[in-house]
Amino acid sequence: MQSLKHIVVIALNTFRESIRDKILYNLFFLAIALVFFSIMLGEWSVFDRAHVIKSTTLSIMSLSGLLIAVFVGISLVQKEIQRRTVLTLLSKPISRVSFIVGKYFGLLGVLAVHLIFLSLLYYLILFFTHSNPTWSLLSAIYLIFCEMAIVVAVALLFSSFSTAVLSTLFTLGVYFAGHLSNQLLEQVQFVKKMGEIEGFGSVVLERLAVWIHAIFPGLYRYNISSFVVHDITVSKSYLVWQSIYALGYIGVFLGIASWWFSRRDFL
Amino acid sequence: MQMIEIEALNKTYRTGFLMQAKKALTDVSLSVPKGSIYGFIGPNGAGKSTTIKILTGLLTYDSGRVEISGASARGIEIRRLVGYSPEHPYFYDYLTARELMVFYGHLVGLSGLELQKRIDWALELVHANKDWADRRLRTYSKGMVQRIGIAQAILSKPKLLILDEPMSGLDPMGRRDVRNAILSLNQEGVTVFYSSHLLSDVESISDRVGMIVDGRVVREGKIHSITDSHSAEYHVFIQGPELQEAPIRGVKKGVQSGEWLCKSSQVKDEFLRFCVDNNLSIQKIDIQRPSLEDVLTEEIARAES
Repeated sequence: MQSLKHIVVIALNTFRESIRDKILYNLFFLAIALVFFSIMLGEWSVFDRAHVIKSTTLSIMSLSGLLIAVFVGISLVQKEIQRRTVLTLLSKPISRVSFIVGKYFGLLGVLAVHLIFLSLLYYLILFFTHSNPTWSLLSAIYLIFCEMAIVVAVALLFSSFSTAVLSTLFTLGVYFAGHLSNQLLEQVQFVKKMGEIEGFGSVVLERLAVWIHAIFPGLYRYNISSFVVHDITVSKSYLVWQSIYALGYIGVFLGIASWWFSRRDFL
Repeated sequence: MQMIEIEALNKTYRTGFLMQAKKALTDVSLSVPKGSIYGFIGPNGAGKSTTIKILTGLLTYDSGRVEISGASARGIEIRRLVGYSPEHPYFYDYLTARELMVFYGHLVGLSGLELQKRIDWALELVHANKDWADRRLRTYSKGMVQRIGIAQAILSKPKLLILDEPMSGLDPMGRRDVRNAILSLNQEGVTVFYSSHLLSDVESISDRVGMIVDGRVVREGKIHSITDSHSAEYHVFIQGPELQEAPIRGVKKGVQSGEWLCKSSQVKDEFLRFCVDNNLSIQKIDIQRPSLEDVLTEEIARAES
């Protein structure tokens, strides 16, 4: 119970810290500008305007969410350590697990507010451009949130033991590996089936692709924009399973981050 | 009953890519009685902050026993008894002092009217002007931040207050305020363990002192017992025929005419006997007791040699 209270206090402070951060405002206004730019893109495009606006705006939501998750997420823990505010905080009767989990939920709150605001803007644009705003788009936005929730956990994991630059590189690495692991596995299995690679090399390559696919979080699962922009709804069970999948990875990443952070010395 | 009990504490830092070992503390042992003011002194890099951070759970240690009020300092619950302000404290500069105190207050389990009362009491004790309290911390001077550091440390009314260089960066008025705050808290029963470079302040308010040099505690105990263990210097003023050179080993000429300095009581007795034997009139004898600074300087020199 006490730990829960500590998590809430740290999360609220993290939320307050983030919303007073210049990086967040820059990313937020950039996202708004790009959302408006999607209207122009829809007008210029040879494709259906509604589809262009919908898919571009979902991509902007995903990209801006990623930038906030990576840059704000990593700076949250790094700033605490570099500015030594962590010394007074961790000398209080709070566990380091509460610190990591509190930081996590604080940033998750920021991401939620960011996505809610962009979603409102998104629906207003779709409404005023007569682009058929359907409720199924919300499922795509929800999955973007789930994906970002995983990325924030990855960012916290790396920033708990590494420098800001390395943490950024590692987090982006996991993000891209998570998006491409499925394609990599399919490609390797395809060329193997076609007989273009064979023998020991093909076995090693396939094993490697299987391992990457199994270890890295399958972030490609959270990209359903190509379905929803064509008004194809995804089933509720898909959303539930992807939520459980995300919770599993978040639990593992935060568990490792907390374990590592608990062993750390603060000079 | 001891508030802090450290026994055979060892700490090694591993630094650089090759994780090279650097010994920071070697068999450090000390004890701080409940209700005392304990000054922890030593040169830069001697291990003061390392010891303090181990006590506050910020650093792990290789071996030894570190206890606060009979319980391991590694535990989280024991930190309810402890208030800590680090050296050169830094806080969330986007908060005002009051917001910061509310944040820390919530972390130590305070809320509502009780928290507001505690905040006012803590800020008052360190003379943090009421006008400051509602200003963002980024506008604060170093001395003001130092005071807020102490205020947040005492917010939970701890039984043990640990301060790392609390007077660093303060002007004389600020130092006086911090000294008074320490004495006032101590009168309320708070045990204070603090490190400082300002030995005159340490001598004026501490009951006990620990002296650490090169990661080892070289002296520990009451101030007078430490300084008394170092022999006082005796200034003997004589009148009569001018002595050209020191008649006894351990005696040297002073600055003033007829002044002779004796290194120890034994040398002084020998010199006085010499004076009587040689019909030299003894005018007066001044005893100069060693200060903490003299003892520390000698210990540093010994460690270096």
